[in-house]
Amino acid sequence: MKFTKTHEWIKKEGDIAIVGVSHYAQDQLGDIVYVELPKVDKSIKAGDEVAVLESTKAAADVYSPLSGTIIEVNSILNQNAELINRSAENEGWIFKIRFDNEKEMDEMMEELDYKKKNSV
Amino acid sequence: MKTILYDRHLELGAKIVDFAGWQMPIHYTSVIKEHLAVRNAVGLFDVSHMGIIDVTGIDAGAFLDYLSTNQILGKEKHTAIYTVLPLETGGTVDDVIVYCEDEQHYFVVVNASNREKSLNHLKKHAAGFKVKIQDRFLEDGILAIQGPNALKLISPLFLEAKNLKKMHFMQVLYHGQKIILSRTGYTGELGFEIYAKNALILELFDWLLNEGKPFGILPIGLGARDTLRLEKGYSLYGHELSESIMASMSLSAWTIKWQRDFIGKQAMVLPHQQQYGVIIEKGIARENYDVYKNGHIIGHVTSGNYSPILQKAIAVILVDDKLNINDTVEIKIRDQLVLAVVTKLPFIPEKK
Repeated sequence: MKFTKTHEWIKKEGDIAIVGVSHYAQDQLGDIVYVELPKVDKSIKAGDEVAVLESTKAAADVYSPLSGTIIEVNSILNQNAELINRSAENEGWIFKIRFDNEKEMDEMMEELDYKKKNSV
Repeated sequence: MKTILYDRHLELGAKIVDFAGWQMPIHYTSVIKEHLAVRNAVGLFDVSHMGIIDVTGIDAGAFLDYLSTNQILGKEKHTAIYTVLPLETGGTVDDVIVYCEDEQHYFVVVNASNREKSLNHLKKHAAGFKVKIQDRFLEDGILAIQGPNALKLISPLFLEAKNLKKMHFMQVLYHGQKIILSRTGYTGELGFEIYAKNALILELFDWLLNEGKPFGILPIGLGARDTLRLEKGYSLYGHELSESIMASMSLSAWTIKWQRDFIGKQAMVLPHQQQYGVIIEKGIARENYDVYKNGHIIGHVTSGNYSPILQKAIAVILVDDKLNINDTVEIKIRDQLVLAVVTKLPFIPEKK
């Protein structure tokens, strides 16, 4: 798993990456009650705002760490946004992307480094 | 500033925020979990950041009546009256609860953000009335116990509680000392508030949290305090009421008893705006978001959040137009116009 400074994570599976927000991020946000998911087939650049999480406290943008095409979104989140609070780094994944450029992952943090800097 | 319970909040794992200069718990576990505990079991709130002001003297009743939208003079002993304190210009100084001990003894509970302002307002208008105004800001604290299990929880300690009617209060003894127990609250649930010296507040907080375990008690932060009052359509000062929002334009308009004279009355006779509750189709509408109708802006959101009971986003809007139940408006949430439907208040039904 790798992490961004803006608290997204990715898991690489061949030429697909699964993307979500970190456990630390969900803790900071509090109860997540609504997720605005991106559209499948949307083509994005690294750094684009791709999803929005609404909690009782605030709204937070989710940025794509990679450029590519969105191939799947976690539609369970439409009914159960709180899944992100319960399992941010596993079942609470947000979207899957077919990435264009693996080199973009080089700029991301290793899990240990991210968690040292951002612990709950 | 910190209440007597600050250390307890930290021990209980609270996330602390600044609220009107006070270091208060926004939540201990989760806002939704705490909200549901109050609706389904019982919750314990430290509300000692609010201020208590004693108003006494021969003219105490007439004085408070003149400064208040609601009628104060002639109310029974031991009643608690929710009311708005207006400015001469009609805007709102604060919304408060006035507790009538007897014709010459009252105490007023004011919002944390308005402590000094409300105290100064009372003192400023006291000329010509035989009244004494004295705050109890530093010595006393306040607890709220709210939820269907509230009475069961406090009964062993306060046998007389079961006889207390809504918006009434009594003086009771706790460890030989006098405290006030009132049947009041900001949640719409069966509930009580306790007014006592700080040392007793600390003891009572510990006792309630412990004895409340079999009743499912949780300590409740300001986050849930806000979602709870919003579901009930209660005003929050700084949102539905302010120096530019008059009582007659607000959710608290029902407090206005027009047959009397009171400060600011003339200014608020023809409100040019009104507040409505809306349910939002998707996303969360937040304070200050623009409200549209037929393509133009008619007002803005004063409060908005998620309702854990309705499982929908709800909001209060302040608008120029007169609206009816089931009318639709659009709220600009970031860049999108989202549909919102005007709904009857309270958002959730009354119990019992």
